[in-house]
Order: sequence, then structure tokens, then C-alpha cells
Amino acid sequence: MTIEKSFDQLTEEEKYEHFLNRIDAGEKIEPKDWMPDDYRQSLIRLISMHGISEIMGALPEKEWVPKAPSLHRKLAIMAKVQDEMGHGQLLLRVAEDLMEPLGMNREDIMQNLFSGKLKFHNVFHMKAPTWGDAGIIAWLVDGAAIISQSMMLDSSYGPYARALKRICAEEVFHAQHGESIIMALAEGTPEQRELLQDALNRWWTALLMFFGPKSKENASTSHVDKNIRYKIREKTNEELRQEFFTKYVPRIWSLGLTIPDETIHFDEEQGLWVYQDPDWNEFKEIVTGNGPQSKERLELRKISYDSNAWVREALNPTSKAV
Amino acid sequence: MSQKDGFYSVYEVFSKKTDKSPLQHQFSLLAPNEEMALIMARENFFRREPVADIWVAKRDDIRMTTQEEREMLKRLNNKEYRETRGYGYLKKKWRNYQQEQFTEQSLLSNSKGGKE
Repeated sequence: MTIEKSFDQLTEEEKYEHFLNRIDAGEKIEPKDWMPDDYRQSLIRLISMHGISEIMGALPEKEWVPKAPSLHRKLAIMAKVQDEMGHGQLLLRVAEDLMEPLGMNREDIMQNLFSGKLKFHNVFHMKAPTWGDAGIIAWLVDGAAIISQSMMLDSSYGPYARALKRICAEEVFHAQHGESIIMALAEGTPEQRELLQDALNRWWTALLMFFGPKSKENASTSHVDKNIRYKIREKTNEELRQEFFTKYVPRIWSLGLTIPDETIHFDEEQGLWVYQDPDWNEFKEIVTGNGPQSKERLELRKISYDSNAWVREALNPTSKAV
Repeated sequence: MSQKDGFYSVYEVFSKKTDKSPLQHQFSLLAPNEEMALIMARENFFRREPVADIWVAKRDDIRMTTQEEREMLKRLNNKEYRETRGYGYLKKKWRNYQQEQFTEQSLLSNSKGGKE
């Protein structure tokens, strides 16, 4: 039997090595565990962005709740909007625990969103002008989200992995809800098919951008390699995008829809999809708050935050009686 | 208006799926009081899943283990004398007497009496 030093007596370097051994052995890191600073920072960046994107992501679909074409569709899209807000609640909770030692909390997350410091997913800066957009969002945006989230189901950070497990289970409903909408449109009148095709045309570039830039040169910041080493994620942006093509391009074609990229095809030799890269400068513009609907959505989020202030006030046991 | 001024507290949520299920930890949430925590727990975690009971507890009131303590838990791996695998050698012994060793299942099931 060897007598080991107790954990608290380890040096910082030994703790770092112990941490790497733990994640390599498949152990999960918990909020109060020792973790390197850059691991914490990576997680805060990733999870607060993910969490706030869920909340901002409810907004384009929320627009369709009053306009849904039937009661059944209204109930289903309402349930999806509610799920997205619920996912936001889970993820912000995970981010808050990571931020706690830095003296930050949910209030800081909201303020960083309003000030533009905290970004949200490019897809939620886009307009959703028709019911076809509601269908494409649920089918393909959620389809893309499932691909990028399910690669992190075994994330080394325990609370994130557990949150994603809950989230992915509900995303399956979202994807099928989307399939149901697009199927009805695809099998509908010529006008309905056109509505769907227009929506696909509008969303294609945003869907390519969803997974982020391929190379480091195009990325404003590249944390991918480090996140893979830390077992926060398993795959690169491009690997995820290729998976998305393999999964969805044949289905899009099978419905007789046209992808607004004449060059897209599967190259047997390379074993890869070849496609037209989106303009990554445009991507940067969008995610820094200059997308077609960025300002309106942020404003809506702010109005809701401000107009609900009285509820938080009323529930606050420490607030002074007026 | 935040945790900083004592408005929100972190609550841990536990639930039972059915009357017979063990209590299971679900997740945590932020709420200004325990009544709101219960409402939020239903909203956040049981929009679809069946649930028979929900508990919420303020995280500050729960004594959790530190990393140091959890490292200690890992070393408890010499418990064969407490487990059935420490008694596997009896199988051979009983064979010498033309008897089969009772399995866990046969030990727990009530004897029906009489001959099989």
C-alpha cells in the first residue's frame, strides 16, 4: 500500500496533472472541484453563450405563436418556445456556478448580453418572416443543434453533460415538430412548396455558419483545440458541418427542394462534402450584433427584462415597502 | 436584484418518478423562495416526465463533500468480506456435499415448501 499525499497538499502543478488524469479517465469535474483557470474560462464562454442563445432562440419562434396556422400547431410551437426558455434556465444555472468564484452571477450575464459583450448564435439574429421559417428553424436549426450538442453529452464538466442530456431528449421532439411542419408544406399546394423553398434559401447560409468557421484564420478566436484536449467537446466545427450535410442534404433533396448552392456534392475520393463557404466576415458582423434582426431581438429581451422588474421587486423579501 | 443582494438562492431539486422510485437529484435552479422554487421545479423539469413527488432544498443547507473528501471515498475498495463475491469459494465446497450453493435470488425468495 502506498501512502498518497492528500489532495489539499498537492502543489498547483500536481493538481493540474491530477485534473488531466481525471478527465482522461472519464471522470466528471464538478463545480467546486479544482480546475485550471482556462478550463473555467472556456466553460463560462461556451455555456453562457449556449444558455443565452436558447433564450434568444425562443424569440424568432415566439413570433409565430399567435400566427400558427392551427390550434395544434400553436400548442406545439408554444411547447417548443417554453422548452427553449427551460434550456436557458438549465444552462445559465451551470454558467452561474462556474462564475461564482469570480463574483459574477445571472445579473452579469444579462447585462453582458445587453451591452453586446456576450454573443448569441448567428441563427437567432435572422428574420423569420413566414411559417416556412418556423418549419426550417425547428427542422434544420434544431437538427444542427442536436449534432453539436450531442457531441458534448460526455463532456468532462459534469453539470454541462447532465444539462445536455435533458436538453437533447427534448430536442428530439423539436426536430420532429419541424419535420411535421415542413412535410405538410412539402406535400401541400405549389404556393406552400414555394414558401418552404424560400425559407430554405433564406436559412442555408446561416445553417452553414451555425457550426462556426472551418479554419483558425477565419475564426475570431479559436478555442476548439483546447476544448477538445479538455474533453469539453469531441469534434471540430468542420467535422460537425460534414455530419450535418450527411444527415440532411439527402433528405432536403428527397423532398424535391433545391439547396441554394449549385456546387454542393459529396466527393467520394475525399469522403467529404464539397460546398460553397459562406462569407465569414458577414458571420462576424452578424454575431457582433449587426445581423438583420439583432437590435430588435435584443431590444425585445430588454423590454421583457425591464417590464418584469416589478415581479422580482414584489418577491424580494429584502426590498423596502413602498 | 440578484444573489448579491440576497434575492435569489440556489435550490437543489429532487424527485420521485413513481411512489416506488428512489428520490433522485434532478438539477438546481434559482428562486427567491421555496414556494417559487417548487413552481419553477415543475416548470423546468416536469413539463413531460411523469413525477410522483418533488422536493426542493436550499443548496446552502446541504452539506456536500469537498473534493478532498471525495478523493477519500475512492480508496474504499477492499470490501470483499461485505460482498457475495467474497464467498464465491463456497460453491465448490457445497458441490463436495452434492449441494448447490444458494444464489442471491434463491435466498431472497420464500420457500414454497414440499418437494419440487
